[in-house]
This record gives sequence, structure tokens and C-alpha cells, in this order.
Amino acid sequence: MAIYRYRLCFSKEKEMKYISHLDLQRVFTRALRRGAIPVAFSQGFNPQPRLVFAAPLAVGLEGKNEYLDLYLTSCWEKEVLKQVLQEQLPGGLAIKTITFVDLSAEPLSALVEAALYVALFPSFSEQYVLTVADILQAKEIVAVRTGKKERKVDIRPFIYSLKIKNDSGGAQLFMLLAAGSKGGARPEEVLSLFPGGKETAKVFRENIFLRNGETLLTPAGETYEEYLQKVQLFLPA
Amino acid sequence: MRKLDYRALLDKVQKPARYLGKEINAVHKDPDDVQLHIALAFPDLYEVGMSHLGLKILYALSNNIPGVYAERVFAPARDMEELLRAGGLPLFSLETWTPLHAFDLVGFTIQYELCYTAILNMLELGGIPLRSKERKDGDPFIVGGGPGAFNPEPLAPFFDFFVIGDGEEVLPELLEEYQRWKKSGDQQRISFLRRIASIPGIYVPSFYEPLEKDGKFVGIKPLLSGIPSKITKRTVDLEHSFYPEAFPVPYMKVVHDRAMLELFRGCTQGCRFCQAGIIYRPVRNRSIPRLRQLAGNIIARTGFEELSLTSLSSGDYPGIEELVDELKEELEGKDVQLSFPSLRAESSALKLADRVQRNRSGGVTFAPEAGTQRLRNVINKRISREEILGAAAEAISSGRNHVKLYFMIGLPTEKDEDILGIVKLVQDTLAIYEKRDKKNRGPFRITVSTATFVPKAHTPFQWEPQIPLKEIRRRQALLKREFRPLRKVDFTWHEAEMSFLEAVFARGDRKLAPVLEKAYRMGSRLDAWSDKFSFSLWKRAFEAEGLDPEYYTEFQPGYDDPLPWDHIDTKVSKEYLIKEHRRAIRGETTGDCRVEGCRGCGIKNCPGMGVDGNLSL
Repeated sequence: MAIYRYRLCFSKEKEMKYISHLDLQRVFTRALRRGAIPVAFSQGFNPQPRLVFAAPLAVGLEGKNEYLDLYLTSCWEKEVLKQVLQEQLPGGLAIKTITFVDLSAEPLSALVEAALYVALFPSFSEQYVLTVADILQAKEIVAVRTGKKERKVDIRPFIYSLKIKNDSGGAQLFMLLAAGSKGGARPEEVLSLFPGGKETAKVFRENIFLRNGETLLTPAGETYEEYLQKVQLFLPA
Repeated sequence: MRKLDYRALLDKVQKPARYLGKEINAVHKDPDDVQLHIALAFPDLYEVGMSHLGLKILYALSNNIPGVYAERVFAPARDMEELLRAGGLPLFSLETWTPLHAFDLVGFTIQYELCYTAILNMLELGGIPLRSKERKDGDPFIVGGGPGAFNPEPLAPFFDFFVIGDGEEVLPELLEEYQRWKKSGDQQRISFLRRIASIPGIYVPSFYEPLEKDGKFVGIKPLLSGIPSKITKRTVDLEHSFYPEAFPVPYMKVVHDRAMLELFRGCTQGCRFCQAGIIYRPVRNRSIPRLRQLAGNIIARTGFEELSLTSLSSGDYPGIEELVDELKEELEGKDVQLSFPSLRAESSALKLADRVQRNRSGGVTFAPEAGTQRLRNVINKRISREEILGAAAEAISSGRNHVKLYFMIGLPTEKDEDILGIVKLVQDTLAIYEKRDKKNRGPFRITVSTATFVPKAHTPFQWEPQIPLKEIRRRQALLKREFRPLRKVDFTWHEAEMSFLEAVFARGDRKLAPVLEKAYRMGSRLDAWSDKFSFSLWKRAFEAEGLDPEYYTEFQPGYDDPLPWDHIDTKVSKEYLIKEHRRAIRGETTGDCRVEGCRGCGIKNCPGMGVDGNLSL
């Protein structure tokens, strides 16, 4: 049977930021069923609909550009798929673009290398600039992760880039952090290094970056530098 | 209307998905555009309430009526409650964040006894005076329905009225009367209550007074003329009744995270401990064409991956195999799994499950209820040891790796040999597995769950006491000891104190209301959750109000004694209950009326009754 692979870029905002990753998967599979969209199923004892998300987003964070690879058993026009699926999605989930992807390409989740988080501070402080410099110069930054077992993680290697920008009274912090299967840093771990960061800054995930040889590209094919230029123009005041 | 912004709270609670109210199929209207604004309240957490069929029926039914807007409200989790109290914020509805006190009508589903304090908590958090007599004109009317309304007395002072029987039947009439009252210009609460007190199936407790003679309950007396001395339950014509198709689809995982298709209401098995088996009589089916049409539409509107064929005993549906085939045809290619919530321990039931289940490696649940044939006869669970073991053998050979067995302890006439009969039955089930060729058998476990018998109002066992707490603990300890060496068996039991409290309220009277309020004031909340239940607190509440809880659990009235719930008429006659109780004590079973003909339970105009006096369903 022919299988068609689509890559959906969507935003996860407003109330939907409170939906966990597992719950989000159910939201999509149920929307697909309501829309009678012919989704393909995995092989095996307990077949599951074939949906591959790029990277889970933590509960409470909005995502401006999230990704999902969807496998269908018949070829739908991208625009039709977008319209039919969008009608079935709850408010807060908006499909932005759909592209075709080569079926033989690596699974989306395996390609994820980094995620760009943006933190908006209500006011600018020179202290932030110093903190960025300190972090970038540090050899090791230890974060303590609680869970079933408390453990210490050096998050410094996971901080790929940090930029702070003074913006009409406020401050914008761009954090490019490792993501994917090999581990990563969490935005709140980085934010906690800034004075009052965790309490005052509003954070969201702006985009995901995939590995492409030695470079990082957004799923739309932009480099980090290009993307950063673009995104600064569009940020909310 | 004052609207509050609760968004800030969502960032501070553990599970914000409980409070979003914007699920697919949640109904959104402008409260200012409707004449009647109702809150449908469920006194437990979102994940429990959203698993409840009745709430979904009433939600969709009310919202289909022009000029009416029904919203949902659930018990807040502890973290949300603390935030509300700290901020002086009232409990709010999910859809429009309207404070509970701003509704016209707040309807509670009363599902089980241990949710009573959660009701009081929701009222108070919602800014509504706890007792009906403290409510002023302009406050919402508080109405209760569901199985708990069949013995409403412990809750009587807190409710303005109760709906007895099928809500679908009463609700439209009630809402019409409300709108008529509003239009009449008479804004007094009491006028509205007077208007509805004569609607069949509506009980206004403040118009009735319990009477005592020498400290003994002698009956309940109407205080007004023109209101009925007995309130008769309402029953809906199920085939032609409303059934929702666009269920709200929760974001978070709820207890029953699936669409529900109600095949029939009522049950004719006649288990003597079972209250649902009495209060939902007569049994009423939906037809196969109706069910098929509903199934298709429900899945198209909700997208659920599972459709549960719910009923009290779904395998009893006449033509169940044909139904399953038709539903499978209807849902072909949609990747929807059919399921049964419970099965009788019969291999025919298991074959039925096999017809619908893609994956058979999971578990299967049977409820033999008692360990010996003698005791199963007493409770009228007409199933033999051979049938139970046959079903278990079938389950094991079809590759299931887990069998769950439900039992009750403390049933009337139970002896230690009946308890040991549970152990024997489990051992025999295990032996079936162990006899299998070692190469061909995978891992296997048996879970044995035991609840403690709670005598319920309106059942043949309403004249029976519950065994004393000490005795519950002894019998549980006996089972624990016996099961300890069986390594493939997991033994679980209901907390004795919770079953005890359930029994107090299940046959409670109006005198218990102050104890409820006291326990609530002392901090009792979601008692149905064992981690939140505090028995010592309840004991202190009883002491403070000078009542002995054991009076209620040990209560053993005579057949002629008036009972505090006698004014609620299930349409099943007391004579029938007495006859059934006597048969129980003699160890005689009573056959299924759908199979063996009418047993004379007293239901008039039973839709199943054929011309020859036999049930034709």
C-alpha cells in the first residue's frame, strides 16, 4: 500500500499549552478520525496511527512552530488536508503549513537537534548581559533535576547559543538549546541563572532545528542566523 | 454578570487540563442571551465526572433546549481549592468561568455516599449557603439526582429539591416550569418550589417532615396540601429518548476515556444486593437500528478510538451478537475498538468479548461476588462454579494473561467457609493455568478484589445489617493470610472504614445531615479517594453531634417498620422485596424475568410484559 508522508507545522497556544504531550497525541488522532482522514497504521501486534512528533513540549509552554509527520494511506492535497484537519482541531492548535516529505527520510524525532526558546523580560537590565557572558564562558553549569531520583546534569554543553536584546524597555533572550534523544537543557534551567528570570520572564518555544550535516536548519530550511534575523522582526512588542 | 479571570490559577495547579472547559463538543453560549443558566455539578474530580454517562446526557439534552445554557462544574482538586480559598475566589463553571452562585439552577449528580462532603464543599466554595432554608431569593436552586436521590434524607436540608428517576424525563418539564415561574413575575423561591412539588418525580424535602414516636421513626409527612405523600420515580421511553452524539472529548486521560453507547437501562438479573437493579426497572432496550445509527454518529462527532457498550449487564442484550456484528459493520475501517464494561462469568460472555477485541492478551474481569454456591444463591447470583471456571479456562486458553475476580465479603448469612470458598475458587482458577504445558503458557496473574457488602435502600437486603467493623477486618485478614502464599495472586480490598461510612449513609436518615456538615467543617472532602479519607475525623463528627454511626450499620428493621426512604417509590413493591429477602434467607434463587417470565416485582406497564404475562423483550 502506498504511504504518503506530510510534515505539519502548527502552533500550540492559549489553553492548549496546558495539554501534555501524550494528551496532544490523542487530540490529533481523534481529530483525524473525526475528519475521516485516512491515516496509516504501524505494523505489529497493536497497530497505532502513524504520527511522529518532532519533540515534546513541556506543559505550560506555548510553541509557535511545532512539527508533526503524518502518514496517510491516500494522497490528499496539502490544502485539503490542512482545511479538513484544522476544522477538527480545538482552538489553540493552528496548522501553519503542510509540506510533503520523502518517505525514506529519517524519522522526524531522530532528526531533532535543538530548539529555540524565547524569554521575554518585562524590563531590560545590564545584569542580563553579564549573565549571558558568564554562562557562555562557564565550563560547567550544574542543574539539579528532581523526579523519582534527584540527579545532577551539566547543562553547559546543551546551551548552543544565547543572545540578549534590549527591546523598547523589555528584554528578549534567545536560547538555542540542545533537544532530542541525546539530552538537552530545559529553558527554565537556563532562566533560573538570570536574576528573577523564572518569576518575571514569559517563555515560549519559537522553533525546532534539525540536523543537516554540520549545520542546523529549521524544518523549512532556514539557518539559525537567518531565522534569528527574521524572528526578531515578528516578536510581539 | 461578574466574570472572573481564572487564567492565572491554571499556571499554579498540577493538572490545568481539568479546568479548561474548551474541549471539542463543549458547548459555548453567551450566558446573557439565555433565560436559564444551569450548572451541572459532579461532586468528584474532572476525570471521574467526565466518565459519567448521566452527566453527558443531561448536558447535551439541556443545551439542545432553546434559551437554556448548561455548563459543567467538578469538585476542585486540593491545589485548586487552596488557590480559590486563598484568593477569596468562588468555584466556577468550566465553560464560561461563571461563579456557581450566579447560576439559576445547580444540579448535582449524586452517585455514591462518599461524595456527600464534596457537595457541601462545592456549594460553599461556590458562594451558595449550605442549607436550603438559608438561601434567599436570587440564590440558585440546588437540585440532586441520580441513585443517591433514592435515599435523599441525609442530604435533605442542603437541597431545594430532588429528581427521582430518569433525568431525561423530568428535566424538560422542570425547565419549562422554571421559565413560566420567571415570567410570572413572582420571584419568591417558595413559589417556584410549590409549583414543582406536584410534578411527578420531584421531591421538595422542606415540604416534608420526618415524624418520630418515642424516638423511633414512624414516617414522613407532607406539610402542604396537594403534594404527594409518595414520590414516584420517572422512567423514560428509552428507544425514543434523547441520547447525545457529540460528547465533550476530554484532553486529559479520564477514568473511562471512551465513548459510551447505552444499550439498555435496567437489569433483570435480580442480584439482591444491587440497588441499580431495582431503581432502574423496568428494563428498556434501544433497538439495533437506533444503536447502529448512534454508534456511527458518536464516533464521527467525537473521534474516540473506543466505544463501550454500556449497560448494567450488557451481555444480556437480546440479540447481542447481531448487534455486535452490525456495529462492527458500521465502524468498519474507522479503527474503533468495541468494548464491554463488565461481563458475567460465562464462557458465552467471553466469546462475545473475543468477537470485539483485537488484542486478547490483556485482562478480563469476572464478578462471581461470592465464593460458594450456597452464598451465591442467597444473593441470587445465578452462576455455577463450573461456569466460572469454564469462563476462566476459556480466558486462559485464549491467551489472556490477567484475570480479575470481584467478590464481596460480609454478605448476609456469610460464614468463614464462604470466605474460604473465595480462596478455593481462586486456587482452582490458578490450577487451570498451571495444568497447561509450561512451554505454551506466558506470564499470568489473578487479581482478587473484595468489597464489603453495604446494605442499600430499596433492595431486598435493606433489612440486613452490615457486619461490624471489627468483623470486616477479621475477614479481610483471613483472606490476606490465605492469599499470601499464592504468588500469582494479587489481593486487594476496600478500606473497611470507607465501606462502614458508606453503609451509614446508604440507609441514613435526616438526622445525619448535621454530622455531614460537621465532618465537612472539620476538613473532610473527597472521601471516595482513600488518600483523602480520614475515619478519625468522621468519628469525631459523630461524637460531636451525639450520634452513633453503628446504629445505622447495624440497623435491622422489621418488615412492618417504616423506613426513612419509604416515601420514595421505585415502583417495585415492598411485598416483592420482602419475598426476595425471604427467598434469600432460604437460599432460593429467582430467575431472570426476561428468560423465565414475570416474577411480579410490581412494575406496572412493564414494556417487556407480553399478553401472556411473560416478558417479551
